[in-house]
Amino acid sequence: MKLLNKITLWFIGIVFLVTPITMIISRNNIKKHLDQAEIARMTAVNDRVAQQLLAGEKPDRYTHGRPIEITAISGPLPAEKISVKKDNYVAEDLGEKECRITVDSWYQVGTQAYKISSYNYVIKSEEIFRGMLSTVVWKMLLMIFAVSVTARLLSGKIFSPLRRTMKAIHRFDLKQKDKLQLPETSTTEFKELNVFLRKMTDKAMEDYAAVKEFSENASHELQTPLAVIRSKIELLSETNIDSIQAALIGDMQNAIEKLSHINRSLILLTKLENQEFKVSESLKFCRVVKDVIATYEDWITMREIKLSSNLDKNIPLNIHPALAEMLISNLLSNAIRHNRDGGQIKMELTHHHLSISNTGIPPQIPTCELFQRFKKSNQSNDSIGLGLAIVKQICEVNGYDVEYNYTDGWHNIEVYFFKRAVISGDAMSASTAVAV
Amino acid sequence: MKVLIVEDNKELASGISDYLNGEKYISELAYDVETAREKLSLFTYDCILLDIMLPDGNGMELLKFIRQENISSGVLIISAKDALDDKVNGLERGADDYVTKPFHLPELHARLRAIYRRKKLDGNNLVVFNEIELNTDTVEAMVNNTLLDVTRKEFDLLLYFVVNKNRVLSRQAIAAHLWGDYTDNLANFDFVYQHVKNLRKKISAAEGVDYIETVYGLGYKFNTSKT
Repeated sequence: MKLLNKITLWFIGIVFLVTPITMIISRNNIKKHLDQAEIARMTAVNDRVAQQLLAGEKPDRYTHGRPIEITAISGPLPAEKISVKKDNYVAEDLGEKECRITVDSWYQVGTQAYKISSYNYVIKSEEIFRGMLSTVVWKMLLMIFAVSVTARLLSGKIFSPLRRTMKAIHRFDLKQKDKLQLPETSTTEFKELNVFLRKMTDKAMEDYAAVKEFSENASHELQTPLAVIRSKIELLSETNIDSIQAALIGDMQNAIEKLSHINRSLILLTKLENQEFKVSESLKFCRVVKDVIATYEDWITMREIKLSSNLDKNIPLNIHPALAEMLISNLLSNAIRHNRDGGQIKMELTHHHLSISNTGIPPQIPTCELFQRFKKSNQSNDSIGLGLAIVKQICEVNGYDVEYNYTDGWHNIEVYFFKRAVISGDAMSASTAVAV
Repeated sequence: MKVLIVEDNKELASGISDYLNGEKYISELAYDVETAREKLSLFTYDCILLDIMLPDGNGMELLKFIRQENISSGVLIISAKDALDDKVNGLERGADDYVTKPFHLPELHARLRAIYRRKKLDGNNLVVFNEIELNTDTVEAMVNNTLLDVTRKEFDLLLYFVVNKNRVLSRQAIAAHLWGDYTDNLANFDFVYQHVKNLRKKISAAEGVDYIETVYGLGYKFNTSKT
């Protein structure tokens, strides 16, 4: 649910809760004040009648339009000179509930004590309530309407910095060197949010740069010692050695080979991440594919693999030639190596995708995980587990999609040269999620 | 052949030097730009091995100097920085080839030889050893004047052996030479074995001497003392 709707609902809920309470409070207040005014008036009337009595005039039965009852009482005056009585009863003749207030006052006129009573009918609280109810219903309707409309109109304005901030975060990529650009805002909360985000992303970028620099430097610095070891071992193998020593040297050479491969691949991955491969012109992808196939032909023949290819001609792509070659040769060499002797490879190249399928043993782990660095389906085999990570990275750099599936004994890797509809759909839902 | 090795790592420089001396080359060492410049001003070399990262400057500067002074030596760049831009820059500025660390010494030697053939032997594209004759231009191999039916890879392999004769060539070095460094394939030993086997068969069929021998646990050797 949108933040705005939530706030509106809460607001309306609170209005619904508070309105009845205020209704009761105002009814009581109105009733109280009306009653008090009536009492005050009747007390005054009683006083007036008492004065007339004192003056020796004969008061009317309805002084000031109010019924007055004067009774002479015997005995002393009560301590309380005025008493107020409220009666709620059902008037029998009208069959309605009535509310009557009676004010009794006691006076001493000469030696005689009098009780003067006056009464009046007042408005019942139910009547006040009824009167208020329709007002309140109107008030609530108006409020709901006003709140919903203004919320909608205002949210565009109030939340626009937040929306822009969210868009900026959505676009933010740690690997890009651009700092997070956030819109200016006068709202304190959004200001705080922006400051916090800016701090966080700057820190993350700094850390990322430091880690990357370290691994880059480390990889480069390793190259020279590796070269030293490799050359010295090669010189050592030239000397007069026995078979035991030869075997030891052979093992060392294997290990160094692996090490230098890993190092080289890591450097390549870093370079890909740094976007160091600038593309200047488009290249005929089909030609590269053919060249790579030619390179591996011997190997394919040796393993008695049947290669069937269906390659479209004239496919220009904007990709660095070295990357194109690496991409295809990594895929093809994988297809050969993880194949069985006498297996099959199918290659298909069209304007929008490259597909390489090969027979082979089923993968031991989910195929999508094989794109991760150092993930291998078979941990003991001779690869270092960076080939597919490089493929993935090359695809990412060039905006391609890559997919690995295993069905019916076929390993199938597809490279889509353009982002497909599914992906753009994802991107769309991601962008709508940004909207507040 | 006279070679100047410009490399700041002394162990690596001496390793290269040892290998080249084994080939009866004369090699001199320069650990920094200054020394290299001095030596280049005083002596002439057939080839220069040039490291890019040097303590007192960049190898690229030296390359500029070599061009300015009209020094005709072939230049092979050795760099830890595997950057393709460096490679392109280097080649554009007059270097002849490029290897990245860590390299195999036979590979370095083969490339040095190739440069030497192109530059110094006036593009002489024939590599001859006894009855074996290799034409690097047409990619044709002759044994006893019969044309061998070899694949491109087998030709490269034979050339690699002949250039690095009497050297132990590890399977790794052979694989790297034939397939480059960039695939995730670690040395494809079966494949190397198969190629060597085929090559030996073809040479024997042409009644050539089977010079190539297996070095147990390590790789292969083109043994010239065989007859």
